[in-house]
Amino acid sequence: MRISKMRYFFPIGTFLFLFLDGSLSHLLAPFFFTTNVSVESRLILLWLVMGICYGTVDHLIWWAAAAGLFFDLFFTGILGIFTLLLPFMVYLTQNVLTFFNRSFIVVLLIYLIDITVLTTLFYWANALIGFTSVSAVNFIGRTLGPTLLFNLVVYVILFWPLKVFFEKFE
Amino acid sequence: MQKFSFNKRLVVTMIILIVGFLLIALSISVRNNKNAPSFVQQIGNEAGGIVDRVVGVPMNGLGHATDSVKDLYNSYTENKKLKKQVDSIATQKVENQTLKEENEHLKQQLKLNETLTSYQKISAVVLSRTPSSWQNQIIINKGSVAGVKKNDAVMSRQGLAGRVTEVNKTTSKVELLSTGNDSANRFAVRVTSKDGTVINGLITGYSTANNQLIMGQVTSKAKIAKGAKIITSGMGGITPQGLLVGQVIRVANNDEGLPTKIYIKPAADFNDLDVVTVARRVD
Repeated sequence: MRISKMRYFFPIGTFLFLFLDGSLSHLLAPFFFTTNVSVESRLILLWLVMGICYGTVDHLIWWAAAAGLFFDLFFTGILGIFTLLLPFMVYLTQNVLTFFNRSFIVVLLIYLIDITVLTTLFYWANALIGFTSVSAVNFIGRTLGPTLLFNLVVYVILFWPLKVFFEKFE
Repeated sequence: MQKFSFNKRLVVTMIILIVGFLLIALSISVRNNKNAPSFVQQIGNEAGGIVDRVVGVPMNGLGHATDSVKDLYNSYTENKKLKKQVDSIATQKVENQTLKEENEHLKQQLKLNETLTSYQKISAVVLSRTPSSWQNQIIINKGSVAGVKKNDAVMSRQGLAGRVTEVNKTTSKVELLSTGNDSANRFAVRVTSKDGTVINGLITGYSTANNQLIMGQVTSKAKIAKGAKIITSGMGGITPQGLLVGQVIRVANNDEGLPTKIYIKPAADFNDLDVVTVARRVD
């Protein structure tokens, strides 16, 4: 029996994209965190969504949970938020995808919906624990809009490479 | 059977949610009360620090490469300007040195070995930044091994940048002054008024829309000049005295006798941090 190479590539990619989020946020901080814009880089979600759509990965939801736990440990220091949110996003995407065929536009829309849900839930969780008191209007204008825009651009750039990658090692 | 499996799923979901909320509650209580995070958290952070160095080095290299092109571009005009300043700096340096020596002698005479201004510097490289709108937090590559302690003040090259919130063995998390969260931002600061009296206060908030720090709990209503320098006062026992916070932009006086608010332009650029210094007070 041949063991799929994806077994090794997927976890490596997961953590690569997770730490790329942090590095990008650090490097592009002058553009990401200004007085009227606040972008949250979510490459990790792109990796997971592409893995669901074009790859055959075992235990994807558990890798999502592991990535989420690492995100909480290393970046925020508050355990439990991304640990639950990322597997939830995987669950949601897998269920939504049963109704659609996979194409550039459809995956794009699913990804944008995922980003919206994730960012909103993350905002809600942070509001709950008192880390932010930003109003909903401010949240949409300052965080959600720019976040969607940035992740859209990243999606357009990374869609084909990731699609080829996942289909090659299927 | 269908009904049973639905209930099972519901129960599992509830348990997962409860565990999640417990984890959140636990980590917040650790963050607020304990000096070091739990063992599992530490291990995760060490591993994360190592992986992040591997991922971050090429990325930061890329960033520095573009920076150096930009630097080359600017250096000619900058050179011209700086040359004019060099002469005055030399004299200032000599003056500084003599004053420092004099200060040391005076301290010796008074048998004052440590004052509020003496602190130990730990330089650290910024590894990463939290990709979140709600926590302006950076991760630095020095931890308890290098002597970093929780709640230490962190300086950028220009001025005060934030406070250490979590210390692991080889990495630490630093919450920047621009974080709007309730439990951060409480630096005791002071400013000298026009007539020379010292006014104490606290950094009580940050206005994201204007990139201004807000100083509240002000002790007196003496007139403060625009552009006056705000420094840390060293009160509260953790932060050393004399770290530059920023310059006064505007003073909002209240007629009702409510405390005055002083708006400060921060000296540090919170979005351009490559190397930071942890200022650990010696006493």
